[in-house]
This record gives sequence, structure tokens and C-alpha cells, in this order.
Amino acid sequence: MRLKWKLTVASTKMFFRQKEAIVWTLLFPLFIVVLFGFVKFDGIGRMHLGVVNEAGANGAQLLGKLSGVKTFEIAEGPRDAEVAALGKGERDIVLVIPKGFTPGGAEALTAYADPEARPRETQLAVLVLQRVLDEDAFAAAPQVRRSIVSMEPVKTRNLTYMDFLLPGVLSMSIMQMGIFGVAFSFVSLKKRGILRRLWVTPINPSDFIFAQVATRLLTLMVQMTVMIGVGFFFLHLHFIGNFLVLYLLGILGAVVFLGIGFALAGISRSEDQVAPLANVITLPMMALSGIFFSRTNLPGFLRVLTDYFPLTYLADGVRSVAIDGATLSQVLPQVTGLAVWAVLTCGIAVRLFHWE
Amino acid sequence: MGENVLEVENLVKRYGPFTAVDGISFEAQRQEIFGILGPNGAGKTTTLECIETLREFDGGSIVLNGLDVRRQPQEVKRIIGVQLQSSSFFDKLSLVELLDLFGSLYGRRVDPLGLLEEVELADKAKAQVKELSGGQKQRFSIAAALVNDPVVLFLDEPTTGLDPQARRHLWGVIKRIRSEGKTIVLTTHSMDEAEELCDRVAIMDAGKIVALAPPLAMIEKLVAGGFKKDRVERLASLEDVFLHLTGHALRDE
Repeated sequence: MRLKWKLTVASTKMFFRQKEAIVWTLLFPLFIVVLFGFVKFDGIGRMHLGVVNEAGANGAQLLGKLSGVKTFEIAEGPRDAEVAALGKGERDIVLVIPKGFTPGGAEALTAYADPEARPRETQLAVLVLQRVLDEDAFAAAPQVRRSIVSMEPVKTRNLTYMDFLLPGVLSMSIMQMGIFGVAFSFVSLKKRGILRRLWVTPINPSDFIFAQVATRLLTLMVQMTVMIGVGFFFLHLHFIGNFLVLYLLGILGAVVFLGIGFALAGISRSEDQVAPLANVITLPMMALSGIFFSRTNLPGFLRVLTDYFPLTYLADGVRSVAIDGATLSQVLPQVTGLAVWAVLTCGIAVRLFHWE
Repeated sequence: MGENVLEVENLVKRYGPFTAVDGISFEAQRQEIFGILGPNGAGKTTTLECIETLREFDGGSIVLNGLDVRRQPQEVKRIIGVQLQSSSFFDKLSLVELLDLFGSLYGRRVDPLGLLEEVELADKAKAQVKELSGGQKQRFSIAAALVNDPVVLFLDEPTTGLDPQARRHLWGVIKRIRSEGKTIVLTTHSMDEAEELCDRVAIMDAGKIVALAPPLAMIEKLVAGGFKKDRVERLASLEDVFLHLTGHALRDE
């Protein structure tokens, strides 16, 4: 036990004395989160409306009403410039307020759009524009009877993209650490003869593996705590989860990916062999396991397939625990999925791992 | 002297159809420096690796301090110290931390500074292996091989790649370790090293031992057989000139 402890302490020291390790395991995932957070995918779905006001003060009044509509991102300019912007795709629709326009009057307004290129945006924009004009008309002639949908405000948790993203990136970096971290460092230990040097001592290989795994799991817990802490205190992460369940998921996920890492280290003789294999395994998961974007937009068969990816289990589990406050029993499907994967990858690792 | 610490008998090691070690026998005596001399590919390293428990062998037997290497590899590992050819150590640990760690692999508490003094590296205690020069690295790997106070120390081409000053310095270290009671088995393809260091040498070629005797005895036997060099030996060699001009002081400190 003393030896296991000493080996773990030594390999933890080695790990944290590597500047690259700190950068890749702690800073890089945070960097990704912050970067994607800035992109404001929340803003996607707003429509870019160009307005050409040729009606002076009357037009300005309408423009003021339009600015109150949250769906629109409004730009104002002369007709040529706005139509040109539409052509470049910088506007979804361009509305012309003609000379002589009066609020509540019955003048026709012209809107330019390309319904073939942007059917959804065009339709929605026309509807919303018509609605604003109708409001004006009704205000001028209140005798018209109509049905009105009245809004009842409800307080939601107002989850943002950050709440989706951070647990996903956290899961992704657990995968990276397990696969790349282990595979590369073991291949290097092999290549540089460090393992051979160990095998002429009475060391028990399982003690050595234990220390390697323990170091990674320790790092993982630091990583989870730091990322969620930074998210909570600085990035408005709506964290309401239980850290114990979170650690459990993280450790299970790490075991799955450590298994893959050791298996790769087992069949590779050099870093050049590890890199493509590791990429083939990690890239599809990064893209399709719902790390950066929800999997709801994936075509049916792909969604079913990605349901079974280990990274999907991990990311979904971490996300529901961290953001929805799911309990252990609520993430049982994910825990089970990860456990099955863990048995599988560790089994493969044991078969493929060679010291030489 | 006189007692055998290592007995290798009819050792055979094959790699597929290739026989790397072809039935060699020798023994090393307590407190002896025993050299295995030979060109590259002669089977020196393979022989050492069989003794060091790193490779299984196909025939023969190896007995080390009364232990059967084939059947008691764990016990053998406890009493040998090994410096491997071109093997490295963990990065990011200081020399002291490395020695401490290696000691714990044997369940021992070691005195890292004492070991470093033994190989004249005490001033590098806080350094990492990658900061050391070639000669210092070799001396450090000898220190690491001494953590378990081994009965036999194996050195695989310890001076290959070192400059003449560092080579001579390492010879001094090796001789001192022997004088403290250790048996040393080393491989080399440098003749002057074998002549300078070894009490006895086995010359290997193509997996076989072609001669085994003290270096001087071999030379005398050759001369007695009527051998004559084409050139008359000069009183000094180019290496003497080099050392005379550049001094004996180490360059890597």
C-alpha cells in the first residue's frame, strides 16, 4: 500500500509539474467554454431586418415600434444599401416605409426578401411585420372586435447555452485526458525505455497501473471542481447538482476512456501510431455526442447510433446532474451505459496491453 | 575472490530462426569486474537481458548468488542493480525524488544524497535527468542501480557516446564501487575500456564466446603465438595527445 501511495504521489507530481498538462486539462476546456460562450448561440434565431425609411417622422414612429420586437435585429439605411445587404445575406428581409406613410393608414409597404433561400425567416418576418402594422391599425380603429392571446408571465430557470456547453466540454475533456493522456504518455514511457528500467526492479506492474489510474482520477476531480466552480462563479452556470453523483459519473466515464487509452498504448509503438487512432475514436464523439450542439437536430438513425456513444452517456449524465439536479436514480441509464462500456474497454485493454 | 556469484551455463536465446546467444557459459566471481566484449550484434545485450530477467531464454541455466534466474526472477531482481543501454528516467522528478522512488520499489528507504555523492552528482540533487550531460546521466543511472545495495551490478555499454574525459571519470567511479565489495558485469565494444577496467573478459562474436581470460593474458598468449603488429606501437596514442592537450578535467560539470 505504501508503494502504491508513493507511486501515486510521484506520478501526480510529475503530472502537475508539466505545464502542458495544466494547460490542456484545466485551461483549454475553460478557454473553449468562454470562447463558445462569446459566440452567443442564444442570439441565433433572431432575424436581421433592414428598414428603409422614406417617410420621415411617421416612419420613425413605426421604426420605434419595430425596435420593440425582440425577434428583430434592426439596421436602417438607404434603399440601395439595404437591398445590397440582403443580397449578401446580411439581412433576412428589408422593409421599405414609403413616402406619405401614416400610422394606421392603409398604404401598402414593400418588403424585399428571398423566400426560396430563406423560407422560414421570410414567412416569420412577414407575419411579425404584419402584426405590428395591424396593431397600429387597430389602435387607430378600436371598434374592430378580435380575439386576443394574452400572456401569463411564468418564471423559468432561463437556462442558457452556457448551461448546455460547460457540462459537455467537461465531459469531452475527461475523454481527452483518458484517451490522449494515457496513450501518449505510455507510448513515450515504452519508447524511452523507462518501463524496461522499471521491470528490472521487483515492482508489481499492477501497482504501477494503479498509480497511473489514481493520478488521472485525482486530476479529473480537480478538473471537474475547477470547471464547475469557474462556471458557477464567473459564467452564470445554473449549477444545482450533487458533486458526489457528478464525481461518480466522471470517474465511470474516465474508466471507460482510460480503457481505450491503455488499449491504444498497447497496440502502438510510437506517438505517430497513437494519434490517428485516437482521433478516429474521439472526433466523431466530439461532433455527435451533443457536446457543442444538441443531438435533437441529428437525423433519426444517427441519433439512435449516438445514443450509445460513451461520450453521450457521460455528457447527458453530467448535464442532467449539474443543471437539472438529477439524482443518482435519475441518471441510472447513463450510469449503466457507462458501466457496460467500462467493462468492455477495460476488457479490451487487458487483452491488447503489452509492456514491450 | 574466487567465489562464483554468477554462473551462466549453455545459455541459448533465439529470436525466431535467428540464434542471438548460442550456448555460452561463463561465471563471474565476487568483487570482480567482468567484461563482455564484442562487436555490435554479437549478443552482449541479449545475454545481459537474460540474466537481468528481462528476457526468457530457450536453453541453459543462469544462477545468480544461488538463485535460479528462470524460476526465481523476483528474488533475483531484488539483489541486482541494472543500468540499461539507452533507457531513461521519468521527467519532472528531481534526482533525489527519483532515487527515493526507486528505493521504494525495493521497499527501502534510501539516502539519495549519499548515493549521489557516490557518483559525484551531489550538486545536481535538485536537477532533473534531462538537464544532465551524457556522462552525468550515466553516473545517475549507476546511482539508481545502487539503491538496493545490489550484489551484482550490470552495466550495458556504460561509456558509449561519452567523451574521453567523462569516460575516464566513469571508470574511476566503477572501480570505486567494486572496491566497496560489488561484483560488476559490463559490456563494451571498447578495447581500452576492457583492458583498463576488467579483471577478466569474455570476447563474444555471433552469439558465441570465442575467448575468456584476463585481458593481459590474452595479449600475452597472442604474442607468444608469434603475432606481430604491422606497425610498431608508438609510445603514445592519439587519445593520450588529446587528453594531454585538453586535460583530464570533466567538461560536463
